Amino acid sequence: MTPTPGKRGRGFLFVWGAPIVLGVLSIFGLLAALLGTGAWHWASWTTLSLLLVVIVRYWAFPPKR
Amino acid sequence: MTAASTIKTWYLVHKWTSLVCTIFLLIICLTGLPLVFHHEIEHWLDDAKPLSQVPAGTPPANLDTLVANARAMYPNEVVDYLFFDPDEPQVFVGMAKTPGDGQASGHAIRMDARTGDVLLDGPLYTEDKFSFMGVMLALHVDLFAGLAGELFLGFMGLLFCVAIVSGVVLYGPFMKKLEFGTVRAARSTRLKWLDLHNLLGIVTLVWALVVGITGVINELSTPLFRLWQSTELPRVLEPYKGQPIPTQLASAQLAADTARKAMPGNEVSFISFPGNAFGSPQHFIAWMRGDSPLTSKLNTPVLVDGRTGDLTTVARMPWYLTALEVSRPLHFGDYGGMPLKIIWALLDLVTIVVLVSGLYLWLARRRATEARINELIKKHQAAAAPQRTPA
Repeated sequence: MTPTPGKRGRGFLFVWGAPIVLGVLSIFGLLAALLGTGAWHWASWTTLSLLLVVIVRYWAFPPKR
Repeated sequence: MTAASTIKTWYLVHKWTSLVCTIFLLIICLTGLPLVFHHEIEHWLDDAKPLSQVPAGTPPANLDTLVANARAMYPNEVVDYLFFDPDEPQVFVGMAKTPGDGQASGHAIRMDARTGDVLLDGPLYTEDKFSFMGVMLALHVDLFAGLAGELFLGFMGLLFCVAIVSGVVLYGPFMKKLEFGTVRAARSTRLKWLDLHNLLGIVTLVWALVVGITGVINELSTPLFRLWQSTELPRVLEPYKGQPIPTQLASAQLAADTARKAMPGNEVSFISFPGNAFGSPQHFIAWMRGDSPLTSKLNTPVLVDGRTGDLTTVARMPWYLTALEVSRPLHFGDYGGMPLKIIWALLDLVTIVVLVSGLYLWLARRRATEARINELIKKHQAAAAPQRTPA
């Protein structure tokens, strides 16, 4: 999740870029298993697991700044 | 409004909606953990007979056999409903002392769908409320207070949703100068948990909002069914005016066949018998599910005359019952196999951390405020002290 510099350095996407990506992934994951089977279930498990991966990444292994 | 006062307003909304609902949401999240796996846990706890070994492709038993078995076990009771387990070949035959009395005197007999063998003669619902899973469900859904409890927890769920939305609004100003995922662990415990509260909250935002909203809709199921009954049924019941609930019923198998003919390609998921509290006094209502992943969650009610077994009508499904039906899987997390259930439980645990950290941040802030006030009082006293000492 790299920050996207806006017009004046840190813009809208700096704050909201990652949350929007995670939100879209969540909606996709929630719907995939509801609307499909087989590969769609795998797609759902993968995208929703990414939320947990992001949490573990930043909580347990905070990036060095 | 200035930006500062807008933030202040949203902060107050976030604080108060959270404070009011947190304790109930904690109970809901904790009891939700075993409920996600209720199917597996019940399997493990109950002492039901295993399903019979029958050759693959054995057709289901005649429903009248199941009904007759149940009536033979409880000659003084009536059949209230049949529930067809979508995952396993078993049928729950609901019994009650009199039609419509399911909530007070109801219990269910679980039978093998192919052989009609009794697998488990279940306890009264009123007793089952005090089994482990019964207690978990009651704490999750109605706090043992029936409809009043459902509406109360539904309102707490609504506050939770408002807390989530206001939390997202506050996320913006908090994160203006911070990289996504920043956890400032070195400076103070409070700051670390503020960052974690923001991180966990924003990552689980959509999931928590979906589970929150669908939870509220589920809590409204009783009034929604009542609304459906009072708007849809009077039109259908007009020709039966003045007739009592029939005692000589048509064959349940015939009712199911009639419903299948009315909705080809659909399968029966539930049949309420005439007089059922959520059904019709004059009809079998067969709830038919489709065969695609989504339509298997959506049921269409087919009304079959209770005396003749003839088709009365395929009832309309109003939008609010469709919303209720879609809300069930999206709340329960039971629509994507065991991996989805595990993900559901883990996200539930993360939500518990968000709730507890929110409570901690509020307490820590109060403590900080109180410490500051004490400090001021001490300073004041220290300044006043020399004057009180006589020279």
